[in-house]
Amino acid sequence: MRSNPADYEMIAPGSLYAIVSLLAKEPGVWVPIAGGTDVMVQYAAGKLPARKLVSIWNLPELRRIEVTAEEIRIGAGCTYTDLRRHEIVGSEFPLLRSAARWTGGVANQNRGTIGGNIVNASPAADSLPALLVYDSELILVSIRGERRLPYASFHTGYKKTLLATDELLQAVCLPRRFSGYFSHARKVGARNAQAISKVCIAALGHLGDGVVEDVRIALGSVAPVPLRLTETEKIVRGKAIDSELLLLARNAVADKIQSIDDIRSTARYRAAVAGNLVVEFLNRLNSEQPGPERGEVKDVLARWNRSSVDEAMQAILPCCGSKAWAQGMVARRPLADEAALVAASDETWRSRTQSDWMEAFHSHPRIGESRPSSEEPQSPPAQSVEWSAQEQRDLADAEAAVKLALADANREYERRFNRIFIVCATGKSAPEILEILRRRLNNDAETELHEAAEQQRQITEIRLRKWLQG
Amino acid sequence: MSDSRESLTKVEISFTVNGERKTVRAHPMERLLDILRQQFQLTGTKEGCGEGECGSCAVLMDGILVNSCLVPVLQAAGSNVVTIEGLAAGETLHVLQEAFLECGGAQCGICTPGMILAAVHLLNGTPKPTMEEIREGLSGNLCRCTGYSQIVEAVERAVHPRTTA
Repeated sequence: MRSNPADYEMIAPGSLYAIVSLLAKEPGVWVPIAGGTDVMVQYAAGKLPARKLVSIWNLPELRRIEVTAEEIRIGAGCTYTDLRRHEIVGSEFPLLRSAARWTGGVANQNRGTIGGNIVNASPAADSLPALLVYDSELILVSIRGERRLPYASFHTGYKKTLLATDELLQAVCLPRRFSGYFSHARKVGARNAQAISKVCIAALGHLGDGVVEDVRIALGSVAPVPLRLTETEKIVRGKAIDSELLLLARNAVADKIQSIDDIRSTARYRAAVAGNLVVEFLNRLNSEQPGPERGEVKDVLARWNRSSVDEAMQAILPCCGSKAWAQGMVARRPLADEAALVAASDETWRSRTQSDWMEAFHSHPRIGESRPSSEEPQSPPAQSVEWSAQEQRDLADAEAAVKLALADANREYERRFNRIFIVCATGKSAPEILEILRRRLNNDAETELHEAAEQQRQITEIRLRKWLQG
Repeated sequence: MSDSRESLTKVEISFTVNGERKTVRAHPMERLLDILRQQFQLTGTKEGCGEGECGSCAVLMDGILVNSCLVPVLQAAGSNVVTIEGLAAGETLHVLQEAFLECGGAQCGICTPGMILAAVHLLNGTPKPTMEEIREGLSGNLCRCTGYSQIVEAVERAVHPRTTA
């Protein structure tokens, strides 16, 4: 049932002082409204109990991000777009940046605020697990003054908080001491954008001497409040990550969560996914083990994450000659590690068009030759030519007869499919490649296109790993 | 709604719509969407879900994309609103409108105004978006006809107009 606007009063006093004065005068009567992404939805459904609203949208006192040496202080009225654009949020609080990116679509990110997310206290809010693991504190303001309290204590039950009836959330403060941590965030929902999570995780950790030195894990949508997994953290801290520990951690998660059946998912599904997400995080943390080689990998990737769009395109293009793929990869920055890089590449590659695939295919030399097949004015990058030579190393020693047969089969392939034959040649001998080529000549066009694309995917993966080695 | 309640809670609100200064008497919680459609007869802005999920009612408010179903009109006071009707310059369509026509980016048409405004917002901030950025820029806009490929293609066409066929 839609609400009648005539039943509602709304004012916009325009200053923080005027607003807290109003809240003090009639405590619990006036409900603050910022970007309306929650309040207006309740209103549309005829479920907004408050009849008097006070606009805090775009209030300068609430829409600032202040950075000191110790902390970053984010005004409650900052939007998700503000968070996504802020340099320090991006570089030191990637979990918060990811959450901002996942919340709603662009229009809702332009209006939804971090303060609204906290006060609305939905257990499914994507940003709240991040605030938990970053040890955030809240600043609440009223005519009586300011008070500061740990965010972890703020939610007392389903949609219940410590906010007093005359108080307004002014800011959330995040200490700047987690930038050295490995961070992992994931949202499991029906869709990436504009979908409320079924389960989400935000986690931080670091290893030292092969054991977990510190770990901080929080989940959304699995309890009446955003949930920090302190028991699980205790079990994991100080230990090496092995299959036994993963099992213990998974069981500890199952003990703590109180997920429910609702329109988005079932309790059973949520419980299983929650365990999987924690195990996935610990596995990633484990493969992040710092070592000399890993350090270099991180350097290459860190430099690439920071470089300009053009530089980043040029740097990654030798791994796969499709510009659309390279663009897609650049758009996915920053990528945390080798696994994230390869996963991003696979997804980007699969979602490209056929013409993008062709562009990548034609950046390779014909099998058994060293120059690329196409007569395009732009020759492939020198790095790509060098890698092609390495990949086809085993072909150089092939017998003359095999080489001739390969050249013949190549020509037949090109007549039949109108493009060069693509195979991931690394580690394959000339006779093996000849056999594969002859088999694939029997494919229909559709099957062969996808087989070629899969081979290119493998080539790209190998090249990405080489690229990371510098 | 002729009772005294009406005069009690209605307020005068002024803002700019498509370059024209407008003043309305309205309840502050009336939705910007309803004011645009009913008071100004700007029916290009569509109501889809009415709860900020679909993007059909998207407009630009001070240059940022917003869902007008979630904007109480009081919060639009003093702002500069642009709707789909404000994009063309006289008879000359906006480059994105042309591209949507060319690529068949509209089927039933309900999502189209919001899609185009989301694309305008994207290109204002990112003049040369990648495919990924286009998809993300439009991810808050749902097309019930599922014609997403043509919509994304239209935005790409507007970014890279083809000189040859």
